[in-house]
Amino acid sequence: MNWLLRLYPAPWRARYGEEFAAVLARQRASPGMVLDVLAGAIDARLHPQIQESDSKQMKGEDTMTLEMFARCAAGGPKLSPSERRIAYWLSIWSALFIAILYLVLTKIYREAPAVQAVFWTSVLFPNFIYQQMVYLKKRLWLTQVFVLAAGLSAMYLFMLAVMLIAKAL
Amino acid sequence: MMRKDKEDELDDFGRFSEPALLILVSLAGEPRHGYSMTEDIETIAGVRLGPGTLYGALARLEARGLIEPLKSEDRRNPYRLTALGERALRARLDSMMAVARAGQRRLASA
Repeated sequence: MNWLLRLYPAPWRARYGEEFAAVLARQRASPGMVLDVLAGAIDARLHPQIQESDSKQMKGEDTMTLEMFARCAAGGPKLSPSERRIAYWLSIWSALFIAILYLVLTKIYREAPAVQAVFWTSVLFPNFIYQQMVYLKKRLWLTQVFVLAAGLSAMYLFMLAVMLIAKAL
Repeated sequence: MMRKDKEDELDDFGRFSEPALLILVSLAGEPRHGYSMTEDIETIAGVRLGPGTLYGALARLEARGLIEPLKSEDRRNPYRLTALGERALRARLDSMMAVARAGQRRLASA
């Protein structure tokens, strides 16, 4: 029945785990006992009584969360400030470029599926470029260009297929 | 229900109030570890506390300084009452006895 102990928060287990397991080992297993332990685990999570350890745990979680957000905001792996600046500007300028391209194509070809596909590709375009740059930053520039071009082409072709199907419906 | 005794430390224990009181009573005699408390409480009150309830109440009592752990060589950690715990237990028992006496008086005169 020691698996029930895993339901409790780590600071609680560190403080009471061993003795709790000793008590648990001498109890006769029953649905009532399992429910009691479940309720105890919920209570331990909702009303933590171990203040010092709990605060350490919270700090750890906060740090992890902040680190996760920082990584997401930066696009994944750690970037230097200059790399981050380049990635931001590249995203912004690529978004503007694709918006102008879409407007020009719409002016010329109206609502052709190929133009609509440009629009839908553009939704993901800046993020795609940003991600590619971040994850491929240690590769050769030729590799970066190739992967970027291939990825964007695949995305555009997929969107084009969707637009053509949508028009045929 | 509001209690007037300011010394009653068990007021904010919620559903753990009664188990906490039983633990304090159990520890009033001598230091005990978890399982020993369970057995003792069953003997004196006819109630068997589940491990979740027992340790929910124990953690609250320890956090408020009403009980304290003793050093132990095995994993069964014994606890004992602190001076604060003893005062809290006395306050609660006095309060309960006052209620019991009032109830008995009224029943006798009914």
